[in-house]
This record gives sequence, structure tokens and C-alpha cells, in this order.
Amino acid sequence: MVGSMDVPAKGGFSFDLCRRNDMLEKKGLKVPGFRKTGTTIVGLVFADGVVLGADTRATEGPIVADKNCEKIHYMAPNIYCCGAGTAADTEAVTDMVSSQLQLHRYATSRESRVVTALTLLKTHLFSYQGHVSAALVLGGVDCTGPHLHTVYPHGSVDTLPFATMGSGSLAAMSVFESKYKEGLTRDEGIELVCGAIRAGIFNDLGSGSNVDVCVITKGKTEYLRNHELPNPRTYASSKGFSFVQGHTEVLSTKITPLKPKPEVTVGDAMEE
Amino acid sequence: MGDSQYSFSLTTFSPSGKLVQIEHALTAVGSGQTSLGIKAANGVVIATEKKLPSILVDETSVQKIQSLTPNIGVVYSGMGPDFRVLVRKSRKQAQQYYRLYKETIPVTQLVRETAAVMQEFTQSGGVRPFGVSLLIAGYDDNGPQLYQVDPSGSYFSWKASAMGKNVSNAKTFLEKRYTEDMELDDAIHTAILTLKEGFEGQISANNIEIGVIRADREFKVLTPAEIKDFLEEVE
Repeated sequence: MVGSMDVPAKGGFSFDLCRRNDMLEKKGLKVPGFRKTGTTIVGLVFADGVVLGADTRATEGPIVADKNCEKIHYMAPNIYCCGAGTAADTEAVTDMVSSQLQLHRYATSRESRVVTALTLLKTHLFSYQGHVSAALVLGGVDCTGPHLHTVYPHGSVDTLPFATMGSGSLAAMSVFESKYKEGLTRDEGIELVCGAIRAGIFNDLGSGSNVDVCVITKGKTEYLRNHELPNPRTYASSKGFSFVQGHTEVLSTKITPLKPKPEVTVGDAMEE
Repeated sequence: MGDSQYSFSLTTFSPSGKLVQIEHALTAVGSGQTSLGIKAANGVVIATEKKLPSILVDETSVQKIQSLTPNIGVVYSGMGPDFRVLVRKSRKQAQQYYRLYKETIPVTQLVRETAAVMQEFTQSGGVRPFGVSLLIAGYDDNGPQLYQVDPSGSYFSWKASAMGKNVSNAKTFLEKRYTEDMELDDAIHTAILTLKEGFEGQISANNIEIGVIRADREFKVLTPAEIKDFLEEVE
């Protein structure tokens, strides 16, 4: 191992296989699908901090792949991030930035700042030119106050007092636009977020199931998983079904005896 | 990396089968400030002298005991800058382990990976071995653990160990005082007494550093106020 130490990996999207992929598609290969979250995610700033909310349905085209997935991801003790888009992309990018933030906290002995997480996310997404399909709502409270941002897959960001992303964003935004005001209390903020997510759950096919909420204030974070369950399953009787004999009409009967089992006797050892 | 003229390894075997550079690295460790660690029944304590080169140095800016993960801490004897590099690398390895396995890294694994890094630097071109020995203290599912890692990359699990200037006296003292079922607070007292043995000058809360990890699995560096309490108990 002569002279080669920690060489930093070159990041960004690698276009090496694009030509091959194009050729394969033309030849008729079906491009593999991926699980999208088709989501409603929201965030708002209230008097003491931020409230984030998300639905819990993950879809694969028209099929619900996960009825209760977690879309609010941990970034730092004081920063959480909701993710819409491709589930694998949002998971991977939030895990990666969360890890980088932890190393940064060790190096600086300070609480992580929301802008740090924001910059790490957007530089990563930009270097992949939109191919990492992660649309995020990032919120947290740090020493400079409460912050709420949206990050788009191509790497652009917005800073907003209230934000929605995902396929249900229009439904949720309509709720925010009519009811948001500055200086909401914690309970008002949670109620408004739940209302916005419910709007997405009931009016958008890509969103559904339950409401997850995360409340972040200075020094305290509450992750309220499944805060509301507006779509409970109505199960059939847990006793199951009982079928009395004679319920089903017998049309014909055919009996086939099984082959007789061969008798096994222990014989003499083989002759050498 | 490095000039092509130095792409050969500087750590080469002597005719007697020793790696002289590592021996010299151990000498560098042996002339560093004393540090020690004690594994108790319900936790681990590590401690070191914090002698600053001048009274003008702001002692609050110096932190010799560092945490690698929430449940693993480390102290060193030897060259401070080399220690910082190892701490950085170890922290990154702990994060990479977590990203890969979604499990917080067990103490033995982190020790093994840190030791592997130190060994790399004894068998690569254009680099020199690290001039530090580490005492890694952690608490995971296998209970409290204490490991010493040397510049060669070899590591050992210890019940109690010392390194640096006063190593022989300190180890003798620890051998006498150590008991298997020691409680952590007793271990902290023993650690302070051991440091006091070879201390030049007056021991105080500002010229030693103590790190502890209890059954709550959170590695903490004690504040000067907490050290003062323990010192008073020892007096």
C-alpha cells in the first residue's frame, strides 16, 4: 500500500451509463419503477418554534406500498426533515446529512444550525442535477431562532413561514393560506398542521392513512408519531368465519388411493 | 501522496526484528503527560494531567479527553496533534458504521478500526507512525470496557492501565488498589490518587481532566466544579 491515504470521493451524478441505458430502452427494456412517496408534507413556524407534519402513505404507482411509513426524518436533536419524492432518495440523503451534522457537532462542540443542514442538502442535490428525487421540508430551532425551509430536487431552496410539498401540497396549502397567522400557539399550530395534512389525505390519492407531527422548540423536540389516525381499519370479526358442513354443494367425488408405501427392511451389508 | 522520493516505507525492520520507528514512537508516548483509566463494575473512568506550557495559556480552550460517540470516550499520552487526527478519523468511522448497519458501533469494533488506522501508518509510504497511545473507554451491550491502543496498532483490554511519564509508578499503584467489584466513584477516587502520586506541583481541578461513563451509557467530561468535589473527597 504505497502512498495512498484518504482520497476524498468525487461526488455528483455519474453520466457513464446513460448511453447504455438509452440503448437498452430503445431495444425495448422496461425501465424499472421505483417507490415514490406521493405525499403531503407541511411545516409552519409558530410562536415558540416550528411544527412539521406528514401523511404516512407510500405508493408504487397505483398501489399503496406502505400504509404507515415514516416521512419525518431525524437530522439532529433540534432539526427534523420531511421528505417527498422517491422514498429511497429522501431516506438516503437525510441519513447522510444527519451523519455529517453529527461529525460537525463533534468537531465544533456546538448545536447544529438549520442553515448548515440546508446547505449540506442543497449542495448534494445540486451536484446530482435533480436525479436524486428528494423534495424536502426542513425545520428546526437553533441558537439563531426557528427556521423553516423547502428544498427542491434540483437544489434550490426557499425560506418560508409556512410550506407544503408533495402531491397533496395544493390541498394542504389551501388550508394554510386561509388559516395561517403569525404568533400561533403550540396547540393552534398542531391543529393547523393536522388540518392541512388531513386535507391532503382526503383529497389527494397519493396521500393517505395517518398524520405524523413533529414539534420543535428551543431545547425540546416532540416527535408525535401517528398523532391522528383518521383512517382506522374496520376489521372483520376477530373470531373468523365458521363454515357449517353442507354449506357448499358437492358436485362430484373422485377418490384416488395413494401408492402403497414401499416396505423398508434392513438387509445384509453389501458384499465387498 | 508524498514526494516520489519518499514513497517507500519509513518503518522498516531492524536486524533484530524490531521496527525502530515504533520504538521511538513509544518513547514519544512515554515522555508525554501521564494518563490512566480504570474499569469499574458499573462504568469506566479515564483521567489525565493537563499541564499547560505556561500560565498564560487559556486552560478552558484545551480539552484532552474527547468523545468519539455518545457512549465512547478517549484520552491519550503523547503528541496532541496526532491525537486530533485519530479522533477525527475514529468519529468518521463510527458514523460510517452506523450508516451501514444502523447500529451504534460496539466498543471493540471502534477500537479495532482505530488500531487498523494506526497500523496503516506503520506500513505505508511517506508517513510516520502516530506518536500517541490511546485509552478508549466505552459502555455498550458488553458492559463497561477499557482498551489501550499503541502506535504499532496493537490493542489490549485492561481492567486498569496507565501511560506516559509516570507509567511504572502509576501501574504499581493501580495494581495495589484495584479490586474487581470496584464502584465507579471509588474508581474516580483511585484515579485521582494515582495522578497525584506522580504529580509535579499542586493538583487542582484546573490541571487534570477526568472523563466518566456510567451505566446510562453517556460519556461525560467532568466540569472543573465536579472535579473539585471529588478532589475534596479524596483529601
